[in-house]
Amino acid sequence: MIFRVFNIVVIGALILAAAYVYRIKFDSTVQAEHLAKLRTELRKERDRIASLRAQWGELDNPARIQALANRFLQLKPMAPTQFDNLDRLPERPPDDAHAANDDPIAGVIGNLEPPEAVTGTIPPAAGVLPPPQSSGNQSGAPNQ
Amino acid sequence: MSATAKSADAMLPVPAKSVAPAEPWRRRVLRRLLYGHDVNRVAKARARVGLAIVAFAVVYGIIAARLIMFAVVSDSRVAHRVVSGDAIATARPDILDRNGEVLATDVRVPSLYAEPRRLIDVDEAVEMLTADLPDLDASELRERLASRRGFVWLKRDINPEQQREIYRQGLPGIGFLNENKRAYPNGAEVSHLIGRVDIDNQGTAGIERWLDNQGLAALHLAGLATDRLQTPVELAVDLRVQHALRDELAKAREKFKAIASAGLVLNVRTGEIVAMVSEPDYDPNVPHNPRDPSLINRLTTGVYEMGSTFKAFTVAMGLDSGKVTLKSSFDAHNPLHYGKFDIHDFEPMQRSLTVPEIFTYSSNIGAARIAMAMGIDAHKAFLKKLGQLDRLRTELPESAEPIVPKRWGELNTITIAFGHGLSVAPLQAVMGVGALMNGGILIPPTFLKRAEADAQALGKRVIKPETSLLMRYLMRLNVEKGTAGKAEVAGYYIGGKTGTADKVVFGRYSKTRVLTDFMAVLPADQPHYLLLIMLDEPKALPETHGFTTSGWNAVPTGGAVVARIAPLLGIEPRLDLPPADQLILASMKESR
Repeated sequence: MIFRVFNIVVIGALILAAAYVYRIKFDSTVQAEHLAKLRTELRKERDRIASLRAQWGELDNPARIQALANRFLQLKPMAPTQFDNLDRLPERPPDDAHAANDDPIAGVIGNLEPPEAVTGTIPPAAGVLPPPQSSGNQSGAPNQ
Repeated sequence: MSATAKSADAMLPVPAKSVAPAEPWRRRVLRRLLYGHDVNRVAKARARVGLAIVAFAVVYGIIAARLIMFAVVSDSRVAHRVVSGDAIATARPDILDRNGEVLATDVRVPSLYAEPRRLIDVDEAVEMLTADLPDLDASELRERLASRRGFVWLKRDINPEQQREIYRQGLPGIGFLNENKRAYPNGAEVSHLIGRVDIDNQGTAGIERWLDNQGLAALHLAGLATDRLQTPVELAVDLRVQHALRDELAKAREKFKAIASAGLVLNVRTGEIVAMVSEPDYDPNVPHNPRDPSLINRLTTGVYEMGSTFKAFTVAMGLDSGKVTLKSSFDAHNPLHYGKFDIHDFEPMQRSLTVPEIFTYSSNIGAARIAMAMGIDAHKAFLKKLGQLDRLRTELPESAEPIVPKRWGELNTITIAFGHGLSVAPLQAVMGVGALMNGGILIPPTFLKRAEADAQALGKRVIKPETSLLMRYLMRLNVEKGTAGKAEVAGYYIGGKTGTADKVVFGRYSKTRVLTDFMAVLPADQPHYLLLIMLDEPKALPETHGFTTSGWNAVPTGGAVVARIAPLLGIEPRLDLPPADQLILASMKESR
């Protein structure tokens, strides 16, 4: 009797173990396939990166850039006299910032072009630059 | 197992007991004949059962082991099959310049193949394929497809549109394999340096060949280099400098109608070759004849008489020995007679010349007299020490043996003193002059990135630091007052030595065909880079007043190159530096 119960228990355990092992095996197969897929994707991505880098290198080639620059730009090679140290930069002119105004940039603009200045083509009423006093609500100004 | 054994034990004695008394006589006889008189059948049966148990255990063990093997091994085997079906195993590492710009990389390109045995209609296939690939030869294609072979390549390296078209036709027995193809995005820019590969992605020249010799070829043979190799090779070359040098050299070659031009930028502190151009060059993406003699790398594969740049060695030898100082003077009144030879100066001074004058006027007589004062053996030993007499080996597989006179007599010493009679690879001369400039340490040049500390460990001292300082002074003086004046670029404090060598044509020195070269060091007070410019057979132009000497062609080219590359090399322009005798010579007195 005891033997029979024991046998049944063992058989049940065996079936459970087999099912469990099967599940593990199945999962691992799925994982392995996933891994293989990811590897392939990775390899494809790497190939793609390499080919893009090669293309970038081709586009970035100094000879090509030079030819384009000669054709489309007015730039010239830099001369040694055009380099200098930062510590030899002259002091900033003191009257640049408008003392009365809170906004230094508006102050500079105001200094450059006084509100009463009239340009040749634009009538003073439709002036491009608002006077420095109204610079606080500049966003609404151009539509007026 | 033990359970079955137990039951066998329990069962066996039972038949033995029951059979023994009631045995018919015939059986007894038979049993005697078979087993003998006194055999314990029980023991025997047990042994047999044991044997059977062992045999079954072994069989089941094998089955179990095999199952485990399948479970463990199968995955990796599948993955391997996927990879090898996709690519031919010839991946190569990327090659980058010192700033990480791609110089060479692998790209996957589809290649077209056919399995003729699986083709149904050869004529149809030929027709459709030639429609998509017009450059395929129809008759050859037909021949290949009609052969009953298992696999034939039809066309390597087709473009994706062609692949799509052919795929859409759905021909059976026609397929694509992705292959690695080497791409050189910069084309001819770095050709001689980087070399090239053949159709099977094996390196045939330059750094590519060197990579193969580093063990990559063995990997390819074993079929292991399948996936993209992860560690790229970083070279010392700077693509921007390389381009500037090549651009200026191409301009100079065109302007002076020279056969060839070559240039090199060496970091004298580390021995790194930052740029190397030998023009004419080739586009490594395009197959061409590798044996074409006009396309050799003149800096490593060619050997040349370097002309007056060798006077730098002669003067350095004199100064380093201590027998000659800057104040020493040598007689240059008359041409130097030796046997039936006369040594002339290009611009005869007809007086005694001091050492700086010999250097800046580039006096052949003076240089010869310095070398004679040192003696033949000392001269030979000095050049040997500076690596001018032995073959220089770098990473590049191409190298050339210098042509050294077999019997080195006094006449050889006289001519070699001013750069004739000894042919060296220009790279070799650059290495030697680099040692004269950098404080006296000879560092073997390299194409790979190298740290300064490694270079110092590799290098060996060949001249005293003071001698090196004097040589820098002379190089600078030569730009301020001497033959290299046209190289001056304000702010970079260039020093330099010119050289013009008569070429040997039909066994004699030609008066009209020359090879001009120019070595520039920048900045001369704290040398960092050494530049070599070399022009092969430059022609005289109206603006050179009919001269073909180095000062009129190689030197201005050198100046133009320096103006372009100095900002790229990170050299700060200093516009208010005193002349050489105040800056360089004074620092020497201070250090004493």
